Amino acid sequence: MSKPEDHLDIVALKELKDIMEGEFDTLVATFIRDSSNKVEELADIIEAGDPDRLRKVAHSLKGSSSNVCAMPLSELARQLEQLGREGTLAGAADLLERLRDEFQQVATLLNNNI
Amino acid sequence: MDNLGLKVDSTALVDSHLRILIADDNDSDRLILQTIVRKEGHTVYAARDGQEAIDLFKEQSPDIVLLDALMPNVDGFEAARTIKQLAGDSLVPIIFLTSLRDATSLADCLAAGGLDFLSKPYNRIILQAKIKAFASMRRLHETVQQQRDEIAVHHDRLVHEQEVAKQVFDNIAHPGCISAPNIKYLLSPMAVFNGDLVLASRKPSGGMFVFLGDFTGHGLPAAIGAMPVSEIFYGMAQKGFSLQDILREINKKLKRILPVGVFCCASMVDVSFRKRSAEVWVGGIPDVLVFRAKERLVEPLKSRHLPLGVVDSDRFNTDTTLVQMELGDRIMLWSDGIIEAADNNGEMFGEERVLEVILSSQDPNDIFHNIERAVEQHAGRGEQDDDYTMVEVSMVTEEDMGDPLGEGGVSYLRGGPRDWSMTYELRPLTLKEFNPLPLITHLLMEVPGLRPHSGKIYTILSELYSNALEHGVLQLHSELKASADGFARYYAERTEKLQALDSGWVRFHIDHHPVEDGGVLTIVVEDTGNGFEYGHKQGAEHRTEGYSGRGIPLINTMCRSVRYLGKGNQVEVVFDWHVDV
Repeated sequence: MSKPEDHLDIVALKELKDIMEGEFDTLVATFIRDSSNKVEELADIIEAGDPDRLRKVAHSLKGSSSNVCAMPLSELARQLEQLGREGTLAGAADLLERLRDEFQQVATLLNNNI
Repeated sequence: MDNLGLKVDSTALVDSHLRILIADDNDSDRLILQTIVRKEGHTVYAARDGQEAIDLFKEQSPDIVLLDALMPNVDGFEAARTIKQLAGDSLVPIIFLTSLRDATSLADCLAAGGLDFLSKPYNRIILQAKIKAFASMRRLHETVQQQRDEIAVHHDRLVHEQEVAKQVFDNIAHPGCISAPNIKYLLSPMAVFNGDLVLASRKPSGGMFVFLGDFTGHGLPAAIGAMPVSEIFYGMAQKGFSLQDILREINKKLKRILPVGVFCCASMVDVSFRKRSAEVWVGGIPDVLVFRAKERLVEPLKSRHLPLGVVDSDRFNTDTTLVQMELGDRIMLWSDGIIEAADNNGEMFGEERVLEVILSSQDPNDIFHNIERAVEQHAGRGEQDDDYTMVEVSMVTEEDMGDPLGEGGVSYLRGGPRDWSMTYELRPLTLKEFNPLPLITHLLMEVPGLRPHSGKIYTILSELYSNALEHGVLQLHSELKASADGFARYYAERTEKLQALDSGWVRFHIDHHPVEDGGVLTIVVEDTGNGFEYGHKQGAEHRTEGYSGRGIPLINTMCRSVRYLGKGNQVEVVFDWHVDV
């Protein structure tokens, strides 16, 4: 059983909640909807073997997850972006599985208002 | 306490309120950013891609633009380029939102017109700092633009004002009869703004005044003094005032109106074609040169006086140098522009070179042109420098000069005083200090049509007046004037006697009545002297040689009759005049 701080920067998240106030729930919902779309998109891209699109979508996910303080998730997205930039898909499927798990954890934590 | 703090904060907020465009295709990122920016007190326009950003920019013209680099449809780079184009002259800071780190991507952002970057995750403090910095940069730019526009407007107005001023100056400080056949001159169209001034006027007596002035300084301050100088010069010259009177008046005026340190270096020449002589006054300006055509030599007349507008009237000196001239002799005046024209090494043209050019000119007619060319060659400029001002006056016969004032025609006979008489009696105090001739000439010039004859009339008046004063009231003997040596003694005695004068008078009785195409002017001058036995002096057998010989016989040739009356202390001149059509 992992702890919340393994997936989220708790201090930064607290700050974000203070800033967003009533909008925080909308933010969480938006992030989860957007990101699950992107995770599915990444799966399609890897199957289709398109490193350039991989780079772009992973880049976007890297940014948005960092903004909601999900740093490990952002790091996994960065590794996928890196593969895309290098023009390879080697290990991309494994990386995506780890990212999918991490996203599930983050989504659960955020939904439970951690 | 708290209230006060809040108040201050909210004012600051109002002051720094900005309208900010945010474009990010990522919904959650955009939500966070727009919430942060809004909380800083700014108005947010949110766009989901580059095209929306461009559209919103057109609609709202925001102050600052935050652009995500990678967006679908139109990406951030292209949007930035379009926005920059739309913004035109005004500065719209574009900040790229990106977590791109590689140098190429960052360079692309800058090339597209981005001024800075903001990376994810967003940091509220950094964002705040950047917005503040760019807001003040934008304000600064706006101020600069505004001032630039103001300067442009101001500049246009200044140019316009200068054009108007130039027109006024040209009308007032016109060079008069500078195009007379015996004058050559060099004067840039903008000379008045360099402080240079050339004036020339025929005198009622047929002679000519030429004035060259060089005011200290440049531009409008240097030009302003030209106006009164010109007005005084032309006004007084036309009324028959002397060179001394005119210079004294100009000096007095300039001393009064110009600030300390602004004055007018000048030279002035009074040319008499009849006497073939010139009186020259030089104040603070390069030597006036007299070129002797026959001997082919140059006599420099050094500046002996301070410039005009420096000393008070009582210390102002109007002593002149009298130069006897032959036909074809020349007098040259200049401002220091020619002398000081420097070559590439800063070496001035100098007075020696001027002399060289004059003396090496085969034909005296080429002197002026040769100097002009030599200065241009020395200074190495094809174009004439604004500061070159130079005048050459040649001695010619009076006939060569033509009618001094060039008027005539029947239309001049209408209006004005035509039928009148007056008596004007001058008593000792007045005789000592006042020259009545300009006033009387002025009065006579009001008679319509008479002005073209002003030269003769002035000659008649001045001859009769000096006879009445000197031989009548002061009892001086004209025999004294027969030798050059006696001439000086004569004038010394004249000054002495005039100083001591306490009784006697000179009376002018002037009568004018019109005839069909002109008039008859009768002038009687009477004095309190002893008169003389005039029986043998009637007619034209007056002595005609020597210094004092030109008086009465000359008058005789000008008018219908000259008669002595009473015991010889009255003389009557009848002058018939007709309009030359």
